[in-house]
Amino acid sequence: MDDPNKVWPTGLTVGESEELHRNIIQGTQIFGMIAALAHLLAYIYSPWLK
Amino acid sequence: MNPVSQKLMRAWAGMGPGFLPFADAATPDVPLGRLLRLSLFQVSVGMALVLIVGTLNRVMIVELGVPAFVVAVMISLPVLYAPFRTLVGFRSDTHRSALGWKRVPFIWMGTLLQFGGLAIMPFALLVLSGGGNAAAWPSWIGPACAGLAFLLVGAGLHTIQTAGLALATDLVPPESQPNVVGLMYVMLLLGTVVSALIFGWLLSDYTPGRLIQAIQGSAVATLVLNVVALWKQETRRPPRNAGAVQAQPRPRFKDAWRAFIAGDRAVRRLAAIVLGTMAFTMQDVLLEPYGGQVLGMSVGQTTLLTATLASGGLLGFWFASRILTRGTDPFRLAVAAVFLGIPAFGLVIAAGPLLSLPLFVSGVFLLGLGSGMFSHGTLTASMSLAPRDQVGLALGAWGAAQATAAGVGVALGGIIRDIVATLASRDVFGNALSGPATGYTAVYFIEIALLVVTVLVMAPLIGDRRNVSFAGS
Repeated sequence: MDDPNKVWPTGLTVGESEELHRNIIQGTQIFGMIAALAHLLAYIYSPWLK
Repeated sequence: MNPVSQKLMRAWAGMGPGFLPFADAATPDVPLGRLLRLSLFQVSVGMALVLIVGTLNRVMIVELGVPAFVVAVMISLPVLYAPFRTLVGFRSDTHRSALGWKRVPFIWMGTLLQFGGLAIMPFALLVLSGGGNAAAWPSWIGPACAGLAFLLVGAGLHTIQTAGLALATDLVPPESQPNVVGLMYVMLLLGTVVSALIFGWLLSDYTPGRLIQAIQGSAVATLVLNVVALWKQETRRPPRNAGAVQAQPRPRFKDAWRAFIAGDRAVRRLAAIVLGTMAFTMQDVLLEPYGGQVLGMSVGQTTLLTATLASGGLLGFWFASRILTRGTDPFRLAVAAVFLGIPAFGLVIAAGPLLSLPLFVSGVFLLGLGSGMFSHGTLTASMSLAPRDQVGLALGAWGAAQATAAGVGVALGGIIRDIVATLASRDVFGNALSGPATGYTAVYFIEIALLVVTVLVMAPLIGDRRNVSFAGS
């Protein structure tokens, strides 16, 4: 508990929480791109289900 | 870093550790429940494999009317990624992480890739078939997006399996490795069989909407299964001095690969895996048509062949786990499996002229048994011989050799059968061999020859005490 670099209650350091955050952001970006492509293909197949 | 990111970071740090995916402690004993949970990644891999090779193969040809050669190209795309398993394994061995993870980031990235591929796949296939309004758009969009979807699924499943098996090796003590290999194979088989049944049931009444539901459902299942599998599994080993570690030059793949290949007859081991796997997989897509065309089996009967092959495989995994945990050399087991394979093909070949179903079914069962024991033996050997700092690379090399050989083997089996059957129907081999059995029999004989070569390549590997890493312990 005496390490000023760590943030409690997780005990993650700044570097560790940055890495976790980077993964979350990267995952969200990939998810967003997949969703955009899937919507584009759905639109090509059946423009908004018309 | 922008203010939103800073706020979010503070939120991660503020969460209790119970809500974050870190293993609580590094215990030497991994309980069965935790291993079963880890093996769920194999269920997701099995599900993706059966979807690509089985279900979509049929749906694209029959329901969507896509030309057979386009289907063949699409299905073979995931195999293209198989050789990169070695690189994935190496990258996970040398991954630099402040969190101290090596495998979890790769399983997560693989999961996202597989999820992404499956999420866009149904729409890509519908556009590829030219359905709906797709004809109004450029024709390259369908093949390009379908190709991308298959590549993503392939990249995802190979990454997940490589990092997942490496994680399993990291977690368990050497004496438990044979059992873990058995469990991983059983879960892969379970994933394949259960998903095939579910997809078959879902798509029995085919509509485009059903196709979207089935494939996107499997995308969500991938995400759920793999997150459950990796949750709190990997022990964190944060670097003591993160700054100094970051400053060190990254190890190069070329150097690591050279070191791996130079050590412990690795080339011979990989060659044996390639040859044996090809020998046991070339007949994969030929057994059912052989049963139908040569032995006059009905569709229902030929489907039962898959069940026979699977039960042989299950018995093989069980038997291999049992005797390998007693300290048997895994290469001795793999050679024994090859010796089972030779009479198995003999029975399958003999069943043709004798028109004997019992002979054929016993041959198929023996093939499943031999194939299960061979896969188990070679994977267990790869695990126990992997240097502790190259577990990912060693299992990546095993996976690359095995998956590439299986893909090439299945393709070659089909091509050789077609060529020989065409020549036979033109009486090139004489009147006695002009029947439909000749094409299949030629492939089976090639497989017997490959099995003999496998024994010759593998024999010098038997008897090395290092094959059993816990021998004498």
